[in-house]
Amino acid sequence: MSKSGTLYIEGDSLFHRMDGAAKLFMFAVWTVFVFLFQDIRIFVPLFLFGIGLLIAAKLPYKRIRFFLWLMIVFNLMNCLLTLLITPAYGSKVWGTTTVILNLGYNVLTLESVFYVLTLTLKYMSMMPITLLFIFTTHPTRFASSLNRIGVPYKIAFAFSIAFRYVPDLQTEFRNISNAMQARGMGFGKGEGSYRERFKHFVSIAIPLVQSSLHRIETVSNAMDLRGFGRHRRRTWFSATAWQRADYCIAVICVIVMVVAIAVRMNGFGTFWYPFTSV
Amino acid sequence: MKQSVLNFSTKTVVAIGIGAALYGLLGNISIPLIAQTALRPAIAILTIFGAMFGPVVGLLSGFIGHIITDLTWGGGQIWWTWVVGSAVTGLGMGLVSMSRSFNVNEGSSSTSHIVTLAVAGSLALAVGFGVSSILDVYLYGEAPDKMWAQYGFATVSNVIVHLVLGVPAVLGLLKLNRRNSNLKVMK
Repeated sequence: MSKSGTLYIEGDSLFHRMDGAAKLFMFAVWTVFVFLFQDIRIFVPLFLFGIGLLIAAKLPYKRIRFFLWLMIVFNLMNCLLTLLITPAYGSKVWGTTTVILNLGYNVLTLESVFYVLTLTLKYMSMMPITLLFIFTTHPTRFASSLNRIGVPYKIAFAFSIAFRYVPDLQTEFRNISNAMQARGMGFGKGEGSYRERFKHFVSIAIPLVQSSLHRIETVSNAMDLRGFGRHRRRTWFSATAWQRADYCIAVICVIVMVVAIAVRMNGFGTFWYPFTSV
Repeated sequence: MKQSVLNFSTKTVVAIGIGAALYGLLGNISIPLIAQTALRPAIAILTIFGAMFGPVVGLLSGFIGHIITDLTWGGGQIWWTWVVGSAVTGLGMGLVSMSRSFNVNEGSSSTSHIVTLAVAGSLALAVGFGVSSILDVYLYGEAPDKMWAQYGFATVSNVIVHLVLGVPAVLGLLKLNRRNSNLKVMK
């Protein structure tokens, strides 16, 4: 995370200019769309389209690289775990069995490998829009857009506070950890047994929670003094007005959603397997 | 003074925010057991904040905090199903503070409250993670057998965190607050 505590990257692409509420709506539609289908023929184009959008947003590759690696490691682990525990699950999905490897306790089937591939692409197709959303939306603007789509402003403000205090608590955490290390407590590898290290982490957590409780008092007093929560509605300094682009994207999202639901209702988009006749 | 559950005072709003930030931050510290399933010391934060501020703060801290954790460590996406699981957990952790005579800030509690906290929290973990697992099977298309294996690991390990870290922490806070509240409030 950057010093301001957010992942937000300053920029001037279409996505940076878009209103937070429109972006949130697009994010939601994308998520529901991915949840609806189980078909690799849908996920591949969706993923490529998402990557196209990411490139169009001109986000620096350096910042995204970390997330790409995380995603790759995550998906690899997930695939391995799925194949280890249920190596024949794919056969249950499609009803055919093509054995490629005998594992002793079960057989690994080609169907399972294809199933894992489908699942991986499903996860991957969620990645671009998530990155796009978190990198191009400023947290306070995010809070104001939450409020706009109907979330009560006190909950929206809680979101804002949460993002605001992550870096502060991070600093606090580091301070306490340094103080504890100065007293000879070990946290890294080889600085004690697992049990000891776990205990040491607890000794950071307690003062951290204590200071957070004090912070709650201070912050809520400050907010009370400024009259927070006096009125039923609240305006936002960072609120933006909807532009033509926002309306266009919102309409496109609605159309895509309706089409997707109609297609899904007709039975298309469940698990698809290309080698059934083999 | 005890607030009603649905009355959002300024303090509630701030408690949700700070609780979520803490849960999100400490969520980064995890001891991996098997892929995507980890021993999360952060669960204890939900125990503490639930017991202190009630179910609404627990629910929303869990919800927002899980989103914050996933933004950095979710592998490029937010696991909405597990966000819901965290929220349900937070809700369950807060149920004990619905009792009028339980108040962490004034150090007032009885053994039955602590037992309720331990049991309700554990049940909430089991139910919340169960909801997440079922949603994972239907929304993400995960293999059920693998999901149950993960569910078992996640629930057992986090119930242990709740009982070993969370409940003693609440006991510690109760003791700390009891020490300086010998005065009785005249009503």
